[in-house]
Amino acid sequence: MLIHIVISGIATGCIYSLVALGLTLIYKSTEHVNFAQGDMSMVSGFIAFTLFAWLKVPVPLAFFLALVGSLGLGLVMEFLLVKPAIRASHFNVFIITLGASIVMQSASGLIWTHNEFPFPSLFPNKSLVLGPVRTDAGSLGIIFSTSLLMLALFLFFKYSKTGTSLRAVSQSQQAALLMGISVKRCFALTWAISGLVAGIAALLIAPVVFLSTALGFVVVNGFAGAILGGWGSLPGAVVGGVILGVLENIAPFYFPSEIRNIIPFAVLVGVLVIRPSGIMGEERRRRV
Amino acid sequence: MRRVSFFRWTLILVPCLVLFFMAPLVLSKYLVFILNLLAVYVLVAIGLNFVMGYTGQISTGHAAFLALGAYFTAICATRASSLPFYVLLPMAGCFAGLVGFLLGIPILRLRGFYIAMVTLAFGAVVSEIALQWSSLTHGDDGLRVPSAFLGTFVFDSDKRLFYLIQPVTILLILAARNIVSTRVGRAFLAIRQSETAAQTLGINLSWYKTSAFALSAFYTGVAGALFAYAMTHITPDSFSLSTSIDFIAMIVIGGMGSIFGSIIGAVILTAIQQLLGSLAEVQMLVFGIALIVFMIFMPRGISGALRSWRAAVKARKKQSLENTPKGEGYP
Repeated sequence: MLIHIVISGIATGCIYSLVALGLTLIYKSTEHVNFAQGDMSMVSGFIAFTLFAWLKVPVPLAFFLALVGSLGLGLVMEFLLVKPAIRASHFNVFIITLGASIVMQSASGLIWTHNEFPFPSLFPNKSLVLGPVRTDAGSLGIIFSTSLLMLALFLFFKYSKTGTSLRAVSQSQQAALLMGISVKRCFALTWAISGLVAGIAALLIAPVVFLSTALGFVVVNGFAGAILGGWGSLPGAVVGGVILGVLENIAPFYFPSEIRNIIPFAVLVGVLVIRPSGIMGEERRRRV
Repeated sequence: MRRVSFFRWTLILVPCLVLFFMAPLVLSKYLVFILNLLAVYVLVAIGLNFVMGYTGQISTGHAAFLALGAYFTAICATRASSLPFYVLLPMAGCFAGLVGFLLGIPILRLRGFYIAMVTLAFGAVVSEIALQWSSLTHGDDGLRVPSAFLGTFVFDSDKRLFYLIQPVTILLILAARNIVSTRVGRAFLAIRQSETAAQTLGINLSWYKTSAFALSAFYTGVAGALFAYAMTHITPDSFSLSTSIDFIAMIVIGGMGSIFGSIIGAVILTAIQQLLGSLAEVQMLVFGIALIVFMIFMPRGISGALRSWRAAVKARKKQSLENTPKGEGYP
């Protein structure tokens, strides 16, 4: 029983990891904090929903198009919101993404209403028995596809030329520019990848919690996970997200069930008070 | 010269104030209620401006302080009905201020967007408590707020409340103007410019950041108490995350780091709320777009734009007076 809870916790945690990953990717290369990451997921989910429920596109094609759409959404965000504010401080960009978040939420509410919609799962809905452990295929599917995505991202950043240039930009924009890397293009690419990750997160989480405009609030869990793992660290984002998911699933087991909503906030405040650099983060010194 | 200008100001201000306080005699009950609500928002805007505009920290949970003030007043006025408003108001402010101070203690170790996250968490926890602790807050049903009284005079209508809410607001606006122009206000501004630079100038960073939070919470707490009196019935959904974001939109539009800007922002927020009252969705959309547009094109808000426009006019006047050729001597 406990193992079952832990596994479904890991599955939830994988989704938080994806959100945390999206946040960290943007932060690492541009130092901006994107409050609208969760709402980017929500909009991608609704794009898929519109395609298969209203336009009767076959589900796999709808999912593919939604992922393309989410990639485009990342690019649009970068082009419309972050680029015009190129000289703005991080404080201002944070508020801009906050604005983007409520624009997406209210616009989606106007288009699709605030109701909850069922969302088809990529995985069969049946329980599996693996030796002594009972679990469901959905959780395993989420864990498996998240791991696959992480592996792909890892290989991309580690071995591809583009990935290397993205890492260079996140280390020093000046030096990267001198090496002939287009920093502007790298920023746009980062937002695109982050949008894609948001889209994948949407396709994985929407079948579990239903599709609604409230899906954007997953960004809070993403932040909590990223901070728990160590803000600014990609492996930290993954680990922190998974731990948060497990905690969230186990806590109602021992405490009253109302506590579930408060867990991400409690983790957030706890980590920031006790160890602001998180599990894997390093202390950063800043110049004036 | 100073004397003359002071005299001229009083000549303008006093009739304005007299007219303002005669307003309830001619305005409708509804408009007076709107003016009361506006006053509450002005106080919130000033409070939030201490944290965001002056000290440069993002607070995404200010509705929580409003809730603390409102619930404190409602609960105390019900349980201890002999307490008059002039005791309750400062107490509500101090209660919210104390919570703000305690919240400030862990925050002072952090910087940047972490503070936004902690305040977001705080806002969510407070509204969750207001919802769940139903023996105290009556949960979703909300609380009825007993009317304020002074001796035998009971502030039981919007027009009567006008004479309670507006003087308190004007008093607190004047106080804020004074705080901002003292050493404390300048320290806040220095922290916004650069925390490290402020520290090297001998500004006790943690102390000033915490007191900015406490002061801000105090203003918002008093606003909460007045809000409770004005609404006469409070429910947890008036203090949600979207309320906090409305408040941010208010000071971004009005102008960060300016008391006058806070007032402009509150006027615009109230106007939009009344115009689009039934269309909550459109209202949020408007605020969201306003946040983005203002942050990109006018980051200092309306008051900042007015200020730079006035400076430009003055410079042009000076230029034409001295008759200097364009572009010479002016960087």
